[in-house]
Amino acid sequence: MPRPFHRDITFSIDGREVTAPENTILVDAAKYGDVEIPVFCYEPKLGQPVGACRMCLVEIEGIPKLQTACSTPVKDGMVVHTLTDRVKEAQNAVVEFLLINHPLDCPVCDKGGECPLQDISFGWGAGVSRFIEPKRHFEKPLSLSPLVAIDRERCILCYRCVRFSQEVAEDYQLVFEERGAHTYVSTFNGHPYVAPFSGNIIELCPVGALTSKPYRFRARPWDIEQAGSVCTLCPSQCNVSFTVRDDRVLRVLARDHKEVDDGWLCDKGRFAYQAIHADERITRPMIRDGGELREVSWDRALDEAAAALGRARGKVAAVVGGQTSNEEGHLLSHLVRDVLGSSDVESRVAGAPSAELRVALDHPDLQATVPDIEFAHAVLVIDAEPVDDMPIIDLRIRKGVRRNHVKLGVATSRPSSLDPNASAVARFAPGAGEAFLAALNAALGGGGVLSELAEAAGTTEQAVRDVAALFDATDLVILYGERLLSGPRADQTARALLNVAGKSFERGRDGAGLMEIPAGTNSRGLREVGCVSDRSPAEIAEAAAGGDLTALYLLHTDPLVDLAGEWEPALDRATTVIAHSMFLTPGIAEHATIVFPAESWAEREGTVTHPDGRLQRLRAGIGRPGDVRACWQTLAELSKRLGADISILTGSMATAQMAEHVPIYAGITHDELGGQGVRWQERDAASAYPGDVDFGPFGLEAPPVRPRPSGSELQFATFRSIWGGPEVAASPALQFLRSRPRVLLSPADAQRLELFDGLAATVAPDGREAVEATVHVRDAVPEGSAFLESDVAGVVGTAGIRKAEAAVVV
Amino acid sequence: MSPAQWPPPEGVVQPIKGPQEIGGPKGVYRAFGETLRGLKTTFARIPEGTTTYQYPEEKVPVYPRFRGRHRLHRFEDTGLEKCVGCSLCAAACPADCIRVVAAENTPDNRVSAGERYAAVYEINLSRCIFCGYCEVACPFDAITMGHDYEMSDYDRADLIFTKEMLLAEPLERTPLRAEGE
Ligand code: SF4
Ligand code: SF4
Ligand code: SF4
Ligand code: SF4
Ligand code: FES
Repeated sequence: MPRPFHRDITFSIDGREVTAPENTILVDAAKYGDVEIPVFCYEPKLGQPVGACRMCLVEIEGIPKLQTACSTPVKDGMVVHTLTDRVKEAQNAVVEFLLINHPLDCPVCDKGGECPLQDISFGWGAGVSRFIEPKRHFEKPLSLSPLVAIDRERCILCYRCVRFSQEVAEDYQLVFEERGAHTYVSTFNGHPYVAPFSGNIIELCPVGALTSKPYRFRARPWDIEQAGSVCTLCPSQCNVSFTVRDDRVLRVLARDHKEVDDGWLCDKGRFAYQAIHADERITRPMIRDGGELREVSWDRALDEAAAALGRARGKVAAVVGGQTSNEEGHLLSHLVRDVLGSSDVESRVAGAPSAELRVALDHPDLQATVPDIEFAHAVLVIDAEPVDDMPIIDLRIRKGVRRNHVKLGVATSRPSSLDPNASAVARFAPGAGEAFLAALNAALGGGGVLSELAEAAGTTEQAVRDVAALFDATDLVILYGERLLSGPRADQTARALLNVAGKSFERGRDGAGLMEIPAGTNSRGLREVGCVSDRSPAEIAEAAAGGDLTALYLLHTDPLVDLAGEWEPALDRATTVIAHSMFLTPGIAEHATIVFPAESWAEREGTVTHPDGRLQRLRAGIGRPGDVRACWQTLAELSKRLGADISILTGSMATAQMAEHVPIYAGITHDELGGQGVRWQERDAASAYPGDVDFGPFGLEAPPVRPRPSGSELQFATFRSIWGGPEVAASPALQFLRSRPRVLLSPADAQRLELFDGLAATVAPDGREAVEATVHVRDAVPEGSAFLESDVAGVVGTAGIRKAEAAVVV
Repeated sequence: MSPAQWPPPEGVVQPIKGPQEIGGPKGVYRAFGETLRGLKTTFARIPEGTTTYQYPEEKVPVYPRFRGRHRLHRFEDTGLEKCVGCSLCAAACPADCIRVVAAENTPDNRVSAGERYAAVYEINLSRCIFCGYCEVACPFDAITMGHDYEMSDYDRADLIFTKEMLLAEPLERTPLRAEGE
């Protein structure tokens, strides 16, 4: 679906001639003429207007009755009045009506001071009420969920929250109960409203009916400051605004960016700020001394780290976590490569395609942007679960399907929450992404026998054909998970993906393309600043375990959790393990020899790159607690102590340094990025992108035959849910959501293994330690596959599953 | 004016009148006249007797509307605090010297009558200008200006009055002016 185009028209409002795009809703069109029309229920983000509150009444010449400006598109020559006596009388009356049942308890209301109802009553109300009858009463405050409190007396029935739940998040949990004056917001059966995006209703509610529990009564608008930055908890990189009081983050609000987040946040981004102020946070450098980590001064820690790295020259490897900024990645790669003469700086979590293929996949001509998802003719999601891996994209896909009739295809191994919206769903066996792409390639006429390849992928011919039907669309956006292209056969998979992409759209076409859903927040940026090594993390681990590498540098990552490969022996064997971390996660607590405290995402300065190539700026919202220092400062200091000629004194100098060394980012400054960021593909420097690229089509090898599981063995993969990660674990308010080991089984397998919902099972993946997990039997899981929710993502293979000895877990 | 014209031609520079020489009777009057006029007032008051207050033994009574040190109030019947921690006083304060951090009442810990209460309520009296805006802003008459003006201290930090200090029955150290006084 092409982006809507509107021609400009001229209309008159309050005697002013105003030019605005045709068919803009009058409320928005009026803004072109600096006229404000008060609204409660109108919120363009929620889709079609509903006209529930009547606050926006205006007079339009030629129409006898007053009209709602929130549902009237502007036309050429329209004459609108918002200041006539008739309009004023109507506005006064609406305010009076809305306040009939409103308790007016502003002093104890959390919305007081930032409340549209207060503002509009003050600005457009009569100031008096004739209503003396008793108001309606509800019990208050009540919990709508552990995160949201509801005060039904204050609700003005604007439908915003309900529309969000039904039409944006599509969790269909919020409903209106009763009718007329008795209407109130509720959930089905009064179940708590628990959903990944529930927090958005707090921001949507125009009164104090829905308030945030963790923020409840913490501050008034005049006590706080808003600090804009970017959330780095997942690759969506939503633009956020931190509410800061007394140098503490108390709340996170969305900072509407149409091309990134569309103004929504997930509950992780909204509530996990509590981890920033958790007691468990590391705030001082530590050195392992007699087997235990002890706090030491910065000087000592830096000296020891420099000395240890100096001794290990040529035998250093660094692994970089997804939350690392471009500057930090660049400085680390400078330190390891130029200063220490080693070559391994790796930011990817498992084996990845070769550099030439990566250049083709990331090519600006093949790149889709976030808004493309909404306006494409079809979207295909391959081997990713947006709600877990990049939550805001989930909302964007739903928006496209619901409002623009985008056709959606979902090809994953694990059942996806987008399945009900999809016109084509294919399930392939865990780890069979390559075979699936080869089958798709065959279905699109790219060679190979479809039936055999579909069989190898563990899917059906029909499913592949259904997905292939999407390729008739003019604009197709393919979203693929990073895990699709990881593992030992990453090259072959990447070739298959390029073949398939070549069948779907012309290169360089706007509105179509590929977009990766990476494993780490800034995976793309880190790759582009050079945190890529010839060896995969598993090979690095092997080299370290074999003694070829003696020093390991862990920047914002715990390899035991985040990376593929056998890291335990590697960390054991390495003489020096330097880590930057906010928390003592298992690998760091046990193996790190020097720990530097890491900054949280609200304290950072630097830049990150969105999966669609948008560079965004991180700005510090609060000071660093305790003895925490900037990461760029630590890395620069280490380089200096090791004899490099480097002088970086501020965050922007670090950005300048980085921009100097990365041709496609050349000349980027914080000023240029501003609050909205800029896509590097749209800058002149993009011409530095390698030109000579082979996009295929490639001849494909036959995918390997997957081992057939037998007996109590099932095909198996782990996944990280949206509620995984140390930030959620350290946030008190999110404890009830925190990721716990769960194993998803199909009903048939559950029956065969004599397991049922809620029972504890022992899951023993091939060659790994067994874990205990709660069984969740789900209809949508294909027979023969099992999925384990775990912080250790990316384990694929087979696993034996049996009843645990322990009693029933509920 | 270009430098060539320096010194400037006659007539361009206007001489200013310098200080006049003063002497003779005019000078004597200038020196003592005003002093004597002031002394006249002084001597005229002598018959009225002394009006010096022997502070601190003796204190000036204040008017009922005198704006002295603030007081926070409780409900007389329930003993609950009237303040709900709404921060409106803090918003109104032109000296920005009130700090309120609110918290939620629970059934086991009910502090105020509303849903919220002030967990921290501090007034920095060394900054306060005693304008009384806080009293006017308060929707619950929880804060009023008292009559106490004796607040000097040795340490500025001691001038930050906490909620407990403001709630405590104050030692009324200041006499109130009687009716019609
Ligand atoms: S919702 Fe707004 S108007 Fe209503 S009590 Fe709260 S602050 Fe006051
Ligand atoms: S709870 Fe808030 S958002 Fe929902 S209908 Fe009521 S006023 Fe509107
Ligand atoms: S009297 Fe005035 S300056 Fe003093 S606390 Fe109240 S509002 Fe602030
Ligand atoms: S003293 Fe009054 S205005 Fe100030 S916080 Fe308490 S209730 Fe609100
Ligand atoms: S804003 Fe128009 S009816 Fe609510």
